[in-house]
Amino acid sequence: MSAALGGGSREDEPSAEPRPEVENVLAVRMGHGANCSSIGSVVDTLFATATVGGAVFAAVVAALKVEEVSVVSPVARAMAANDEAPPEKDG
Amino acid sequence: MIVRYESWGAWVKLESQAALVALDREGVRRLGLDGGPTWRDRARPSAPLEVHMAVTARCGAGCEGCYLDARPDGAEPPREALLRELDALRDAGVFTVAFGGGEPTTRDDLDVLAEAARARGMTAVLTTSGLGLTDARLAKLRGFAQVNVSYDGASETYARVRGFDGAAAAERAIERVAAAGIAVGVNVVLTRDSFPRLRETLVRARDLGAREAQLLRYKPAGRAALLDYLARRLSAEQASALGPTLRELARSLCAGDDFHLRIDCALVAFLSADDELARDPSRLRRFGVFGCEAGGALAAFTVDGRVAPCSFARPTGLRATDLARHGDDPELARWRTHVDAPPEPCASCSLRSVCRGGCKVVAAHVDGTHGPDPECPRVIASRAASKDGAG
Repeated sequence: MSAALGGGSREDEPSAEPRPEVENVLAVRMGHGANCSSIGSVVDTLFATATVGGAVFAAVVAALKVEEVSVVSPVARAMAANDEAPPEKDG
Repeated sequence: MIVRYESWGAWVKLESQAALVALDREGVRRLGLDGGPTWRDRARPSAPLEVHMAVTARCGAGCEGCYLDARPDGAEPPREALLRELDALRDAGVFTVAFGGGEPTTRDDLDVLAEAARARGMTAVLTTSGLGLTDARLAKLRGFAQVNVSYDGASETYARVRGFDGAAAAERAIERVAAAGIAVGVNVVLTRDSFPRLRETLVRARDLGAREAQLLRYKPAGRAALLDYLARRLSAEQASALGPTLRELARSLCAGDDFHLRIDCALVAFLSADDELARDPSRLRRFGVFGCEAGGALAAFTVDGRVAPCSFARPTGLRATDLARHGDDPELARWRTHVDAPPEPCASCSLRSVCRGGCKVVAAHVDGTHGPDPECPRVIASRAASKDGAG
């Protein structure tokens, strides 16, 4: 994983800031999404009760509070924007 | 979790559960992060979130509707070429790579490729017909986060979709993959014949061990791009019934967390006929439902190493190994930006930002245009009204 990911602009020390809350979540895509031919979306949640739907978001936020953070390398964006060699990765 | 900055915040792929989360900028800051140039500079097209990689065009199944026109003597790219493509996916920040073909299990190095994807920080998933799934081939599937088996229904239904009865082999494959402890789902192609039997197909798949069913619209590509496509596709009535059908299936089959229903990007247009969903498109957005993301969140690598907007679209001139330059490719841009200024009736559709204009592959085959999806219930109604008005 470390070969694939750079540190982005994350602080070296764990942040004292609070972790994201439900109101910070714009969307949740459950499942792996892909199959061999088209992009898929879980839809049974669309028809679930508000309680079940809320539980999905609550579970995601709970994970956001405890999982370690890695940041995808900015290589691609830098190449596209500057058309030059990728920058050094942070972290 | 893995964070990928976007102009509006970031996509976050969780590791403890299979979920992708869109966080606003404040949420990202609460992770102790700052989007830096991605937030400060002019927004550029985002890289795909997932890419379909055709790892072989070899397949002996001979499905009548194969979108790739795969054959027993189909081309198979060398491992080294695929590893370079996986490098390109990593560099672009892609989260998920879906291996397909052709029949991917015919490759002897499938386990190596799955591990290579994982080593590059990506989730690898795979689709198989399940035909010829030997113990040796099954053992090579352990590195995949999920394996989907093509299963359109019991024998007669399966045969009417694919032209031969492979249902028993597919059912055995579902059971064996599940028994091996690998997450298994089924891909169900919706045709005029398979749609009426959808419930029994899903019940059977769930009983065999499938955790998820992905419903796929039948699309006119490869061997399916023939005149009989019009006879095989869902009828207008069936397309309009998709929303209520999903609602009933979700409530009866997905009460717990052990079975989920997914629909593919091309089916989202049919939800425009569902008043409840069309009235509240924010619900679809909140649950991350994607319509046509071709050239956007989705891209495909062809077996000869080129980038296509999706698996059913013609490839562009962009090499897969140059995926990082996807934002500069005019053909990918044409697909990606269609939603910005679509013609009516898409322009005024409440689902526009989710559906993104429906399936352009269908539009090209049926209408010869890169325009509104001619099988969308809203488009059909609009055209009928125009015709009546003109008459």
